[in-house]
Amino acid sequence: MAEMTANQLSAPAHDDHGHMSAEEHNENMKLGMWLYLASEIVIFSMMIVGYVLFRINEPDVVELAHSKLGVGLVTANTFVLLASSFFMVMGLRAMQQGNRAGMLRWIGATALGGAVFLAGQYIEYSELAHLGITLGYDIESQWQTFGMRFYAPTFFHGAHVFVGVLWALEVMRRGAKGRYDKDPIGIEMFGLYWHFVDVVWIMLFTLIYLV
Amino acid sequence: MVEASQEMTQDDHGHHSNTVRLLGRDITVEGGIYTVVFGGLAVLTVIEVLSAEFLKSAIHDAPSAAAALTAIKAILLLAIAIVKSSLVIWFYMHLKDEKRILAVVLLLPLLIAALSVMFVLAVPPTGYSI
Repeated sequence: MAEMTANQLSAPAHDDHGHMSAEEHNENMKLGMWLYLASEIVIFSMMIVGYVLFRINEPDVVELAHSKLGVGLVTANTFVLLASSFFMVMGLRAMQQGNRAGMLRWIGATALGGAVFLAGQYIEYSELAHLGITLGYDIESQWQTFGMRFYAPTFFHGAHVFVGVLWALEVMRRGAKGRYDKDPIGIEMFGLYWHFVDVVWIMLFTLIYLV
Repeated sequence: MVEASQEMTQDDHGHHSNTVRLLGRDITVEGGIYTVVFGGLAVLTVIEVLSAEFLKSAIHDAPSAAAALTAIKAILLLAIAIVKSSLVIWFYMHLKDEKRILAVVLLLPLLIAALSVMFVLAVPPTGYSI
C-alpha cells in the first residue's frame, strides 16, 4: 500500500498528465491513515467508556480484581510495548538515513516486542481464567460482568498488536528487497499504526490497572 | 518537562540529530530526541505505578479520606497518561511536523467521545425518577 514506482517518485508536482507528486501522494497516505486511526479512537472510546462506567458503578468488584491482578506483569508488558514504539521510530529513522540493515534490525526488534507483549497477555489471561474471570455473565459470581468489561478493550487491543506484528514482518520482507530505499513512506504508515496501538495501551494500562 | 524544553539542532525537524537541548544543556545520545522521549516515557511509567501503589495504600489506611484520595489518584494518573500519550503522538507520530488538519482529525473524535462520556455519566444507572 505504501510503495511507489520510480516514475511517481521522480514526477513533478503536477505533470502534464495530472499525476500527483510523490510528496502529495505521501501526504494523502498520511491523511488516510490518520482518518483510519480516528475511527479506531471512536471504537476504543466506546469500550473504555463501558469499563469506566463499570468502574464507577461497581468499585468493590474492580478493587477486588486489582488485588488479584497485581501490576507486576502488566507493568513489564507496558515497558515492552513502549520500547517497541521506540524501536519502531528508530527503524524509520535508520531508513531515512539510508541504513537498510539498521532499519531491518529495529523493525525486527519491534516485531519481537509485540510478540513478547502478546505472550505476556496470554499468561495474564490464563491467570485470570484460573481465578474465574471469564467473558460469561453470572450475577451470582463475585466478578459479575467484570470479565466482559475487561476483556473487550484489552483483547481488541491485543488483536491490534497481533496485526501489527504481522505488518512489521511484511515491512521487513519488503524492506529487505529495497522497496523503501527511495521513499520510506510505507514504514511511516506502519509506524503511525504501531504508535497508535502504543497510545491506546498507555490509556488502557492507566484506566484498567491503576485507577 | 522534556517536551517543553527540547530544541532541534538540525534540519529535517531534528529527526536525525543525536544532540538534544534539554533544560539548557546539550545532551548527545544515539537516537537524539527519540531516545530522550523514551527515557521520559519510562520514568513517567515508573512514577505512575509507584504513585498508584502509594495512593492505594493511603486509601486503605485512611478510609475517611478515601473519596478525596480516590479522586486525586484518578486525576493524577490520568494526567500522567495524557502526557505520555502526547509525547508519543507529538514526537514518535511526528504530529509536531504535520499539517494542522491531522491534529483536527485526532482531536475531533476525542472531543466527541469526551462529550458522549459526560452525557452518559449524567444519567444515573437506574435512570431519572420523574
